[in-house]
Amino acid sequence: MKLAWLRSLETSHQDCVWACTWLPATDKSSGLLLTGSLDETVKLWNPDDLSLVRTNTGHCLGVVSVAAHPSGKIAASASMDSFVRVFDVESNNTIATLEAPPSEVWQMQFDPRGTTLAVAGGSSASVKLWDTAEWKLIATLSIPRPEGSKPSDKGNNKKFVLSVAWSPSGRQLACGSMDGSISVFDVQRAKFLHHLEGHTMPVRSLAYSPLDPRVLVSGSDDERIHMYDAEGKTLFSSMSGHSSWVLSVDVSPDGAAVASGSSDRTVKLWDPKMRAAVQTMTNHTDQVWGVKFEGGARGSLLASVSDDKSISLYNYS
Amino acid sequence: MASVYIPVQNSEEEVRVALDQLPRDATDILDILKAEQAPLDLWLIIAREYFKQGKIEQFRQILEEGSSPEIDEYYADVRYERIAILNALGAYYSYLGKIETKQREKEEHFILATQYYNKASRIDMHEPSTWVGKGNLDGLFCHQIILLSAVPLIIIVESRVKCESFLKGQLLLAKGDVDQAFAAFKIVLDGDRDNIPALLGQACVEFNRGKYSSSLEMYKRVLQVYPRCPAAVRLGIGLCRYKLGQFERAKQAFERVLQASNLDPENVEALVALGIVDLQSNEASGIRGATEKMLRAFDVYPYCATALNYLANHFFFTGQHFLVEQLTETALAATTHGSTRAHSYYNLARSYHSKGDYEKAGLYYMASVKEVAKPQEFILPFYGLGQVQLKLGDFKSSLSNFEKVLEVYPENCETLKAVAHIYLHLNQTTKAHDALRKAIRIDPRDPEAFLDLGELLISTDSAGALDAFKTARNLLKKANEEVSIEILNNIGVLHFERGEFELAEQTFMEALGDGIWLKLIDSGPQSDSTGGSHSDPIRRALYQPIDANLAARMYKDMQLFHNLEKDGIVVELPWDKITTLSNLARLFEQLHKTETASILYRLILFKFPEYVDAYLRLAAIAKARNNVPLSIELIRDALEVDDKNPDALCMLGDLELKNDDWVKAKDTFRAAREASNGKDSYATLCLGNWNYFAAVRSEKRAPKLEATHLEKAKELYTKVLVERPANMYAANGAGVVLAEKGQFDIAKELFTQVQEAASGSVFVQMPDVWINLAHVHFAQGNFALAIKMYQNCLRKFYYNTDNQILLYLARTHYEAEQWQDCKKTLLKAIHLAPSNYTLRFDTGVALQKFSASTLQKTKRTVDEVTNAITFVVFRVRATVAELKNAVRLFSQLSAASNLQFHGFDEKKIETHVGYCKHLLEAAKVHCDAAELEDQQNRHRLELARQAAIREEESRLAEEQKKVKLEKRKQEDELKKVMQQEQHLERIKEHWKSSSGSKRKDRAQGEDEDGAQGGERRRRKSNKKRKRDKKAESHMDDQEENEEDNTNTNYYEPEDQVNDQVDDDDDDPQDLLAAAGLEDSDADDNAAPASNTGRRIRGWSESDDDEPEKRQPSSSPVRENSVDMQVSDGE
Repeated sequence: MKLAWLRSLETSHQDCVWACTWLPATDKSSGLLLTGSLDETVKLWNPDDLSLVRTNTGHCLGVVSVAAHPSGKIAASASMDSFVRVFDVESNNTIATLEAPPSEVWQMQFDPRGTTLAVAGGSSASVKLWDTAEWKLIATLSIPRPEGSKPSDKGNNKKFVLSVAWSPSGRQLACGSMDGSISVFDVQRAKFLHHLEGHTMPVRSLAYSPLDPRVLVSGSDDERIHMYDAEGKTLFSSMSGHSSWVLSVDVSPDGAAVASGSSDRTVKLWDPKMRAAVQTMTNHTDQVWGVKFEGGARGSLLASVSDDKSISLYNYS
Repeated sequence: MASVYIPVQNSEEEVRVALDQLPRDATDILDILKAEQAPLDLWLIIAREYFKQGKIEQFRQILEEGSSPEIDEYYADVRYERIAILNALGAYYSYLGKIETKQREKEEHFILATQYYNKASRIDMHEPSTWVGKGNLDGLFCHQIILLSAVPLIIIVESRVKCESFLKGQLLLAKGDVDQAFAAFKIVLDGDRDNIPALLGQACVEFNRGKYSSSLEMYKRVLQVYPRCPAAVRLGIGLCRYKLGQFERAKQAFERVLQASNLDPENVEALVALGIVDLQSNEASGIRGATEKMLRAFDVYPYCATALNYLANHFFFTGQHFLVEQLTETALAATTHGSTRAHSYYNLARSYHSKGDYEKAGLYYMASVKEVAKPQEFILPFYGLGQVQLKLGDFKSSLSNFEKVLEVYPENCETLKAVAHIYLHLNQTTKAHDALRKAIRIDPRDPEAFLDLGELLISTDSAGALDAFKTARNLLKKANEEVSIEILNNIGVLHFERGEFELAEQTFMEALGDGIWLKLIDSGPQSDSTGGSHSDPIRRALYQPIDANLAARMYKDMQLFHNLEKDGIVVELPWDKITTLSNLARLFEQLHKTETASILYRLILFKFPEYVDAYLRLAAIAKARNNVPLSIELIRDALEVDDKNPDALCMLGDLELKNDDWVKAKDTFRAAREASNGKDSYATLCLGNWNYFAAVRSEKRAPKLEATHLEKAKELYTKVLVERPANMYAANGAGVVLAEKGQFDIAKELFTQVQEAASGSVFVQMPDVWINLAHVHFAQGNFALAIKMYQNCLRKFYYNTDNQILLYLARTHYEAEQWQDCKKTLLKAIHLAPSNYTLRFDTGVALQKFSASTLQKTKRTVDEVTNAITFVVFRVRATVAELKNAVRLFSQLSAASNLQFHGFDEKKIETHVGYCKHLLEAAKVHCDAAELEDQQNRHRLELARQAAIREEESRLAEEQKKVKLEKRKQEDELKKVMQQEQHLERIKEHWKSSSGSKRKDRAQGEDEDGAQGGERRRRKSNKKRKRDKKAESHMDDQEENEEDNTNTNYYEPEDQVNDQVDDDDDDPQDLLAAAGLEDSDADDNAAPASNTGRRIRGWSESDDDEPEKRQPSSSPVRENSVDMQVSDGE
């Protein structure tokens, strides 16, 4: 279990890079890396040499998240002005512009089969599900208000939804909130299942293990990475080691390792068996907002993006 | 058997007196002597015989009778014998005086002796033996104790006539008058250089003067002259050799004293001296031998103080204190000799000292010290006294005693250490430091000195302390001694303090050794991570998945240890390891291995539930994770153990502030202060902070209340500073109050100093002072500096995650009119704190302001620099985009306000939306105009380009013409040459020249045409511009008003009233005023929420309000602004 630094691109964007994801390879192109930045652009990169494939403009205010359709043909990017732009990867034609006021847009993820796009809806305390065929809003998964609280309660604000993740089967969906709670939903029945407690500060990133649909990994501002049994409502382990917020987590394709990016400017590789970080990469000079394993054929690449405007690639083995 | 014959008077008969049958009663023999008027030498012989038989009384009786006045009268002409008798008596009394222990009687004896000598010298001034005796007597007081007894012994045994005269010299010696004694003996020796007693006396004098070698010479001469001399001579030789450091030969001499059959096998002095020489050898056998000899000496003569002292010393070391006391008491009774008594008292004191009876020990040390005339002679009691006084807390006296020791032995490490210790107690650290440094220099192998040095430096010089401790550790290790857990703990803590975490961890682990904690800390790889089927029960217990619902309460969970105990694992923690374990846990916290740290803290609490610090650390961890309820619960646990713990109370107050529980918090802080009798500066500081927050907290500021709170805060800070001038937090607080009062320069000075002081230790993290400094720069209009300071602070302390500082930064960019930076900063802040709507609102305002100002500038640019038009258009377009963004932001907020996510008034947001839309429309016109301008410009450029092309064309044509003309000339010449021959060609030639001129005319016409067209267009554009100006002037008004508003209202409500009065007729203006008001509200909303959040840095947030109030450019007087606010509120 090891990360080996491959290459970095210093000024990939003109400003902080806030989001990254891998586009699966298609028959026409190999896998690409997709990044979004405060400079209001979305860029596509060839991972082999980190050469720029294209720059997409059109967003106002910073791009906060990017999502790739499993087909690799479609991708979505979202910015702080709460618009989601769905575009064709090859032609950069806008397929749809999604908006569900008054809810904002934070993290997004396509479901594993590619039929639904889940969008974390911020202050609406809900996750919006969009149908990918007609680009219509098909469901709103709301986090139930805690008992006894009035709708006017300012406390409601705490359920502000930041992050979202689909289970590998696509049946379950988890979302993380500002107050540190994680909510698990049954998607088919559009039903809230339960909360996973343990974090006490915003949960900015969630990831299911690709092998074990029960294992959910979360990263939070409380500097910890938790591993939950999402079904059994138990906390396997709480791993501390970052010295500031954990901004992003991802599970390796073999399910054996967890990567994390943090405000402490490091990327760490964790061995859940040891409950400890086995490696710390210090090549970034500012907050690391995104880490992502390539889940496809190559399966051994990890990308990280940071406020220092750079992108880094590592070989995972 | 020898006998004497007393001649019978007036006859030839003699009375035979057998010397071994002398009558018991001396009166009988005296009667005979008197009756027969026997010669005086017979008296002397008989007296001597009595003395030899130990019949001292009879001896005395005869001699006294023999020196009575009648005898003097009768034998007036027999001078020599009379002198001899007197001298014998003198010698006898000298001897008595010498052996007498009681001072008074001793003196009496000496007085008597002196009288006899004097009487003798009156008989004949020139008899040398008298002088010798006198000289020798003087020496008695000051001579070495052994020799004291030796010399008179010689005299008594050697009762020859010459020897008796020697006794007079003794007298001088006895009075301590060495020089006179020397002179007296010299007189004798000058007369007879082999006079043995005089030689002995002189040897004694020389010995006393410290001239051991010449003393030795004298003794040797005695031996040569008189080989059968008594043992005492050899004793003298031995002593001289001893003093000269020739121990082996000294020993031989002493042994000779004992061995020689004709000498003195039971000579106490020799035995003692031998014992001392043996001791000198410093070997076990030697010491044993010494003890044996001392014991023998004791058997022979139980009152020899030296032997007694030595034996006492011996028994002290064997621990038989009872014997020590007895022996020393006897020794004290047996001698008046100062230094011997000092030794005895010292032994006694030491005995009590070792038994822990410091009072008595002190008394005896004191007695011992009193006996010592010069500390150089016997320093040990001073040291002992110092030790006891130190023990009893009398530092000053102790110090003076130790200093005396140092005067004699300036390089004695133990004393140096003791002195350093006292200096430390007396707070004279420099002196303590010097002493320790010296001790270490002298003995670089003494771990204790290094430990002491380490302790000394620990608070002032961590690097030095660390070095000292490390050296001590290495020394101990080299000596194979156990390194105590305290030392390792100290080393670990120092490493920790210096940020050398790995070393710290190693050291702590070494200190802790083996134990259950190793398993709890260790996280080696396992066979199965999630299955819970670990072979090791500790692992299994540790890796037990927990119910996620209980996860938040993990820090109170003791189940882990209960489970372990159930599994039969002994959970043990020795008490002496708590501190180190707690330090290790603290280190893990620093390394962000917080979970491990929490397990260790819980282990401590499991075994020692009264260890308050562990509760507090756990509470701090919970607090850092924002788990306020759990944190409070943990503190309550701590308070249950100790309800007066000021730290716990302060923390509780802090948390109550976080919960916005103002009144409760204040009570708690007060309780904390009372619990520590006002001595805990932190509690006072907290109260100060509370007052400061209270002053700036309320939205509607009541000036009176504010002033009282501020005053109170200042008072409290000052109080802390008086008690602890080095308290940075108090200094920071004082700086804030000063800044609050507008004394920026002083505040800046304070902050800068605190900032400097705060850099260096990992335990002191003071981002607040950076922020405050930045605030002051901001308030003084130093935007660039403020920005730098905010950025550094963010990066240095917060990993760029603090949205509040980002807000300050954005505000500074805003004031500095760096719109893009302002916007980016705010967006970053939103990204970090997505649910903070204030940031969104501020972004909207910033965009609005940016657009307005750009539009205004655009106009100017259009007027002034026409060729930058393309850029302007670009800017206008960007502006329009930003305006649209602003509109969208405000609309979103407006929509969100329906859901009551935030506290903004919907109407006010809509006002902003309205204004932005209004601006947008204006901008549209402006944009169109700019675009038109741009088009025209492009057109003009196009024309210019065309004109240039045309010019080029005409130039080309001209050239062509020239070429043609040239050609024609040549042709002309050619023609001229050929004219005559080619007449027919002429007509053709003519045609050619006319066609060239026609072409030229046409080109000129075209040029004119082009110029006219350009002018026409220019005129047209002028007209357009005029029309623009109308629109612009309208814009102008609005922009100016708008600018005032955003400038002032956004952060300075005080100006806003003026605006309203001025612009009553202006509709959008009113709306904007309202919007501006909203701005300040928004800011106030943001401030208190975060105020409560931070312990010490809270004021920095509130500072945010403060520079806004006092913008150097626009706010006039503080009073004014307050008044206006009040009226505003009404």
